[in-house]
Amino acid sequence: MSDQDDDLELQALQRELDDAFATTRPRRGFEDELWLHMQARRPVSTRFADAIAGLFQGIREAPRVPAAAVASILVVAIGAGLLLSSGLHGGGGGSTASLSAGDGSKRNGGEYLPTFGQVPAPPQDNSVPSAVYAGPAHLVWSGKLNLSISTAPVFRYQEPTVNASDQFATSLGAALVDRPSGYLGSYRATTYTLKVRGTVQTPPSSPAYFIFANLGMPEIDAAGATSQGLADIFLAGHSLAPQWTYTVAVDSSGDPVKVVYQRQFDVPGYGPANLVDVNGVRYGLEVDISGRRPVLATGLLPVSLDRADYSIISADQAIQQAVAPQMGPVTGVTVPTVQLTQAELVYVLVPAGDHSFYEPAFLFSGTFQVGGATRIKRVLVAAVDPSQRSS
Amino acid sequence: MVPARPPFEDLYREYLGRIYSYVRAQVGAAADAEDITAQVFMNAYQAYARFEARNTTPAAWLFRIARNATLDHFRAGGRRERLRRTIEHQPLAEEDPAGQAEERIQYRALLAHVAQLPERQRDAISLRHSGLSFEEVGGLLGCSEDAAKMLYHRAVKALKEAVRKEEV
Repeated sequence: MSDQDDDLELQALQRELDDAFATTRPRRGFEDELWLHMQARRPVSTRFADAIAGLFQGIREAPRVPAAAVASILVVAIGAGLLLSSGLHGGGGGSTASLSAGDGSKRNGGEYLPTFGQVPAPPQDNSVPSAVYAGPAHLVWSGKLNLSISTAPVFRYQEPTVNASDQFATSLGAALVDRPSGYLGSYRATTYTLKVRGTVQTPPSSPAYFIFANLGMPEIDAAGATSQGLADIFLAGHSLAPQWTYTVAVDSSGDPVKVVYQRQFDVPGYGPANLVDVNGVRYGLEVDISGRRPVLATGLLPVSLDRADYSIISADQAIQQAVAPQMGPVTGVTVPTVQLTQAELVYVLVPAGDHSFYEPAFLFSGTFQVGGATRIKRVLVAAVDPSQRSS
Repeated sequence: MVPARPPFEDLYREYLGRIYSYVRAQVGAAADAEDITAQVFMNAYQAYARFEARNTTPAAWLFRIARNATLDHFRAGGRRERLRRTIEHQPLAEEDPAGQAEERIQYRALLAHVAQLPERQRDAISLRHSGLSFEEVGGLLGCSEDAAKMLYHRAVKALKEAVRKEEV
């Protein structure tokens, strides 16, 4: 090989090295997770990713549903290994918004007609996170489910656009920085970075905004205020107070303290129904407070909701589907029997491309013992009558 | 006139990717690279009040912290063992397309070769291709700018030989 060839090879290798270093980047989300971690001033453990997994659950996309071997297309069984000793507890007294329909709901002369045609069925995800129980179980219903309604509203929204994202940012006083992959926009304000994301199809996750405080974010000067009080002040100061019905839960088991405003939908004849993710966990808007300083706020991006009433299955049908065997006979293992004792009407996100839906569902739950620990078993059953739902 | 000290967040957003790729080329495994990168910026965050812009560039300052953190990492665990583990457990890109997309690495094999070079050669290549000048590379490696250039060129030749050997 001549010297000239040798030089050309070296130059090519140097170009490859340039590309290699320019394109090697951490996984998506790491940048914001680490920044938040630094803001919260928590020590780094030997395995940073593990440490942040619990701390920053709020900024991650909805966890996958552990719905192994679900037999019915209508039933999503959630073997959520949620310890009852969780620090999350109801804050109480936070349900201040009126029990009206959500943002921009449209009424048709007081009657709601199934104007959306057949609505899509809630998606299922057969992945099973390692930390949750998703083994076989005999499910038995021993609670009481009284349901006096035969229809419930379905809400539909159009996928938010870049323009909508920009308008939202502008309303907060944040200026566009760039449009990173996976987001509608990234914006900068004096005291925080704002990111806005549309609907995530899989696993389903609502359009959302994320506010990451920077060093300029001041502590909230409100002597004697609780974490919820601090969160309220922060939200009011940034015109982010929820415009929908909610209850408040406060998780003060760690730092930061998490204040969660759990969104609800009003169901005529039933009352408020909680919005839950694919694991049956309530969500809406979360403000994380470290010391007296907000370090993160993540919430539902405001969208205009259309509304139409749909027939729903009866309580008996829902119970029947909840306890239906989810798999064939299992040999060689002890299958626990789980008593489902509670049921409530909830709402779940059903992504469907340009338009997505919030649809009613029944959430059944019960506790059982595994290895000395008390765990919760949850089962989600789609509520819209199958005749009004596409497969 | 003393250069203004930029907000730390600006530094963080600008350099996180570059620091990560530098560390990634040193340690091979993505999880280790995340750990070390996190440690680098935690250390930098705490030390930023003492950063003197008149004495060094932000890039050189951050890469010095990154280099020290990487050396600490190797001292703690033994580099040979880590490399072995990395090579044994790291899936091929074709076997794990999702993982490949997640890590956003297009030149895994090339970086693996870099990771196996002697320490100073590895550093010279990684620092240079992370955007540092030869003067800054020399400053970090404790040698002159000319010596850094020579070290770098020897390192690239060694890398070329390593790549060629594998192709044969």
